[in-house]
Amino acid sequence: MLTQSSLKYIFILLFSFLLTGAVDATAQQDTVVAADTVAIADSAVRKPELTTHQLVVGFDIAGPLRNALDASRYGYEIAADYYLHKELYLAAEAGWGGCKAAYTDLKYTTTNAFLRLGFNKVLIARENSKDWGGLLLGLRLGAASVGRSVADYMVTDSLWGGSAGTLPAKNLGAYWVEVTAGVRVELYKGLLAGWNVRGKFLLNTKQLEELAPLNISGYGRGDKNSVFDINFYLSYAIRWGR
Amino acid sequence: MTKPARFFRNAGCGWLCIDKGVIRAVWVMIAFLPLFSCTAERQPCLTPKTASLNIKCVHFSTDTATTTVDTALPMAVFGALTAKGTQSVIYKGASSAFTISLSPVADSCQWLVTTDSLNFPFDTLGFYYERKLKFLSNACGYTYFYALTSVTTTHNNIDSVIITNPSVTNDVNTKQLKIYIHPSF
Repeated sequence: MLTQSSLKYIFILLFSFLLTGAVDATAQQDTVVAADTVAIADSAVRKPELTTHQLVVGFDIAGPLRNALDASRYGYEIAADYYLHKELYLAAEAGWGGCKAAYTDLKYTTTNAFLRLGFNKVLIARENSKDWGGLLLGLRLGAASVGRSVADYMVTDSLWGGSAGTLPAKNLGAYWVEVTAGVRVELYKGLLAGWNVRGKFLLNTKQLEELAPLNISGYGRGDKNSVFDINFYLSYAIRWGR
Repeated sequence: MTKPARFFRNAGCGWLCIDKGVIRAVWVMIAFLPLFSCTAERQPCLTPKTASLNIKCVHFSTDTATTTVDTALPMAVFGALTAKGTQSVIYKGASSAFTISLSPVADSCQWLVTTDSLNFPFDTLGFYYERKLKFLSNACGYTYFYALTSVTTTHNNIDSVIITNPSVTNDVNTKQLKIYIHPSF
């Protein structure tokens, strides 16, 4: 069943495609070519002769920016993908982070590591065998191991008076699926830059009911069943012959 | 032969040569920067933090009637018997629906009730329940929900009480208690 949140993410993904498509169409207006010439060019484009392997290793540069803006959380992420065939990439992302809730009525800290595995598919046809940029659509399965400290809480009631308590430390697991879309461009000989928007859907909400972490690095707000996220990657491509 | 235009064209461009495609990409990336406007501020709590016990007052229209009608109390007074004394709420205006709260610091509590601020004596309602600690969100923190086990009452203006739903949560639309008022109050 599609929830309102799911529809929102689908809309964002479609908007992302439309945005890139609009820019592409603008670029094409600059080139006046005969129809038969385009047909020849397209047929050449759709049958690339790939003779290289490519492994891309990157770092999420948005992480340190987020860490600087929000003192209650931190997180770092690295990403890698390997070209399989037919514009399909095996993708993996991993990282670590933590958060700290220091409110008058709720105090705890968490640390976690995460791993996401999945695939990317490049949607725009390759111009030639050296063209490694493009628009990527992806699917991920994510998992995080979360360690939570002792949590102190206070229930306040202006009529009856408040009460305080403590929850013991606990280790939790979080699992989610992601739909991703983004673009990647080669800035200079193997140096790549790009961004990814992500719609994430938590699978094991029950396990986090007792105290959902303020932030799960790799996922986002633990008390939300679905979240939106964005990454900016700076990457380096290692290529070698097949 | 002219090549078809592409979104990110960088072919034949040196290190210092940034073409239109790269500029477009940077522009699109900058457009998303407002998404990073997160701060350490706590999110606002947008859900009710206190569990509400919602009451409906009814009476039988005749001695032989099998269905009830709502009983509008002209100016009802509810008073919580707390450790600091009686904390009263006067409802100005006739109503048959009322909301009170249970004590999060004990497994029972008492409320005084009268149908009219000029009509004495009060009835005493005794509530017995189990407390359930409930995490609402990081914005709201914890609260207590309750499972009602029994409710007792005196019989000055109240004939009887029935628990219609034992679960007391922050849902303001669910009625948990029906109070049968003497028709002659």
